[in-house]
Amino acid sequence: MMPTAQRRLLFLLLAVLSAASVAVAAALGSVSLGWGQWWAALLDSGSEFGELVWRLRLPRAAAAWTVGALLSLSGCLMQVLLRNPLADPYILGVSGGASFAALLGMSLGVATAVLPALAWAGALLSILIVFSLARGEGPWSGTRLLLTGVVTASGWAALISLVLTLGPDGSLRGMLFWLIGDLSYARLPGWALAILLLIFALCLGMARSLNVLAMGETTARLLGEPTRKLLWVVYLLASVLTATAVSIAGNIGFVGLIVPHLMRLLVGSDHRILLPAAAMFGGLFLVLSDTLARTVLAPRQLPVGVVTALLGVPLFLLLLNRARVKQ
Amino acid sequence: MPMIGLNCRGLDVRIAGVRVVRDLDLEVRPGEFWALLGPNGIGKTTLLRCLAGLHEPSAGEVLLESRNIAELPRKLLARHIGMLQQHTVYVFDSSVMQTALTGRHPHLGYWEREGHRDLEMADGALHAVDLVGFAGRSVTGLSGGEARRLAFATLLVQDPEIMLLDEPTNHLDLRHQVHIMGMIRDRVRDGRHAAFAALHDINLAARYCTHVIMLFGDGAWCAGPAADMLSEASLQRLYGCPVERIESSGGPRYHPRSS
Repeated sequence: MMPTAQRRLLFLLLAVLSAASVAVAAALGSVSLGWGQWWAALLDSGSEFGELVWRLRLPRAAAAWTVGALLSLSGCLMQVLLRNPLADPYILGVSGGASFAALLGMSLGVATAVLPALAWAGALLSILIVFSLARGEGPWSGTRLLLTGVVTASGWAALISLVLTLGPDGSLRGMLFWLIGDLSYARLPGWALAILLLIFALCLGMARSLNVLAMGETTARLLGEPTRKLLWVVYLLASVLTATAVSIAGNIGFVGLIVPHLMRLLVGSDHRILLPAAAMFGGLFLVLSDTLARTVLAPRQLPVGVVTALLGVPLFLLLLNRARVKQ
Repeated sequence: MPMIGLNCRGLDVRIAGVRVVRDLDLEVRPGEFWALLGPNGIGKTTLLRCLAGLHEPSAGEVLLESRNIAELPRKLLARHIGMLQQHTVYVFDSSVMQTALTGRHPHLGYWEREGHRDLEMADGALHAVDLVGFAGRSVTGLSGGEARRLAFATLLVQDPEIMLLDEPTNHLDLRHQVHIMGMIRDRVRDGRHAAFAALHDINLAARYCTHVIMLFGDGAWCAGPAADMLSEASLQRLYGCPVERIESSGGPRYHPRSS
């Protein structure tokens, strides 16, 4: 157990770093601002760079933070749900459904603004398919859920390949960026933030239940959890988090796998600490990744999914190695 | 605090077509320490799971006081019935203290955090199972015996009146076997607790248990006070292997007869 003072310090640090990352994201880009220009733009949206900062960079950074937090939280839940530290937010096919719907929309020339709604609908369809097929009668079966989800995901992958093959060449680049994960057109919709906060509060309330669930279904039942109900709730919450993230930014890989892992190594596996830490770190990590994606080859922009993987892999291996040495 | 016992009425338990017990009537009262004996694969674990409400009986009922456990909410059940499982596998790392504290889970509300008293209980339980100084250690680094003692400490922290134990002495060295069995006996002797343990060591059963239930296969069972139940003949029938009774200073002991 982490002492209260230490825990508060950690949360404060992550909150400050999150805010700092957004501030940095506002200053950097194809046009980098000096301190004075940056400050002036922050104070007055009507100033020379005010429009750039307030209309483009800050909304994008806010969207990045939210998506990072959504994915990290979802990753934590999926790992407990499947009792597998290798589970990620996309494993049960939610993102497949979203991507198929979004790509289909692109190939049919649907307006960009409609894509998130389309993606959300596709994700919802996938959630319902997996839920109704895996539910069945009798006791909870993690294996059945995993297999149903993975096979459904494969089905979506096949349909996505079909759309990529048959779709018009002009939309291929957009589709590719979607599949890698990209925040270029991301604006923070209020509903995404509302979903994040609502589900976060729910999860924090059941954090102790998640702790016992992580010890196994039988142990959790013996410690008083109605696990069948609890596990389906966790599945639905994790899926909604994933659906929301994907509908904003496409399939950004790695964040939802690596951030929960990193945080487990750093703060332990008490979900009352892990969940807030992972959400904030995930947000912070994605804001920084997206800032890099915008600046490294400026004026060209990389899809952020490339950067998350390039950053995440060495960071992860480093920490894993350090954790081993410590033991 | 009312004294709580566990009652089986006309219990029929089956698993995968195998009959574990047929028409079992059994009363486990506070102050009693039951040994559940039987050969491998006869269904000892299944019977324990049934008493814990994890396995549905095909007929009959298990009553906690006068209420059918199938109708009680899990959380309420967990305050009165606890079970030490045969194996504990930790997928996610956690500290020894945090794991012991999970025993408080059924006693705490939705948003509630563990308080001073809960921490004291966990500390006391780790002390009792000889895991002093382990509180901050990682559970994945524990030896088999240490993990076993931690699981038992978690049960002590949960503090149910009815303790179901699936081979509690697994992985334990001689000293800790005696220590843990003695601790269960002492707890039961306070008149508020009852224990029901699947065991393979007849001599531990003879030394510590007040009552014995034997499972013979195909639903046949036999139960009663330990002194009446344990004999060369009954053990021979139970295990299908000749058994010799030897008198020792601590009472009778049973050994397989060498052929």
